[in-house]
Amino acid sequence: MAMNAGSPAEGPDGPAPRLACGRDAALVWDRAAAGTPPDAHERDCPHCNAAFADARGLDAVVHRMASQDLEPPPSMMDRVMAAVRTELRPHDLLTLSSPHGPVRLSRPAAAAVLRHVVDRMDGLRARSCRIEQPTGADGRAPHAADVAITVTARFGVDLASVTARVRQMVIAAGEQALGVPVRRVDIDVVDLFGEGTT
Amino acid sequence: MTEPDPPVRLHVGDAVVARVAAHRARLVPGVVALRPDLAQALIGIAGTVLGQDRSRPPVQGVSASVHGRSAEVSITIVTRLGHNCRDLAVAVQREVAAEVSAYTGLDVVVRVTVAEVLLD
Repeated sequence: MAMNAGSPAEGPDGPAPRLACGRDAALVWDRAAAGTPPDAHERDCPHCNAAFADARGLDAVVHRMASQDLEPPPSMMDRVMAAVRTELRPHDLLTLSSPHGPVRLSRPAAAAVLRHVVDRMDGLRARSCRIEQPTGADGRAPHAADVAITVTARFGVDLASVTARVRQMVIAAGEQALGVPVRRVDIDVVDLFGEGTT
Repeated sequence: MTEPDPPVRLHVGDAVVARVAAHRARLVPGVVALRPDLAQALIGIAGTVLGQDRSRPPVQGVSASVHGRSAEVSITIVTRLGHNCRDLAVAVQREVAAEVSAYTGLDVVVRVTVAEVLLD
């Protein structure tokens, strides 16, 4: 897949935002994802540390869950209600690229995944997540998605770093967990939590 | 002098295709379950209340239709976080199309919808 969103200077919305210490979040992420040990600056810098933790956190979540063996609850009511919801909103689907024919992904399911991974980030809670997949001029969906996510941050967390970290997490999770390239990420920090406790 | 071969027409039914497709789809790693659509879910409930019609148990989560030499299969799956949804869906398309094609000789187009991603 053409996926260059992780490279430093050419993200989906132009130059990648920097961490508060001035480092490129995408570069730090890539190094962490590749298993590179943190350098002297990164060991002591809280912003780089957080970016490292994000990358490893996604990796851990993705691989731990893939290796678990569990069955969904065989509850008839849940299944029916899920079927009803799916049926009532038949167009609430994203299009994934496939060489073999039509592939669709439930939009609420995709949003739940992105909320989940952002929720697992240190100092952040995800509130809402909206995913739009604009249709191209020729009527075909271009597969790249625009994500708008609202978050709350722990009191005292650096907001510039939050932006860089959430953006990176959404882009990486979109590609790795969903298979949806992310073209644009809008992050709305709507509230703070934990005032006075830290 | 040999008799001409008697003509044979083999027609493979929708339910055959659906059942083969459902069986193969469940074997793809990452597919946790197949998700029945509304009609299938209601038939399932009716079956538990009224007594199952053993002659035609529905194929949950798969619908198939055969037109001449080609078949269309729609599969709705549930997966779990950790499996790339796109890669999983493409794998299901590939595996199911190959299996149904090998079993029935039909040309198969498989549509896949990922309806849910389990998070925990």
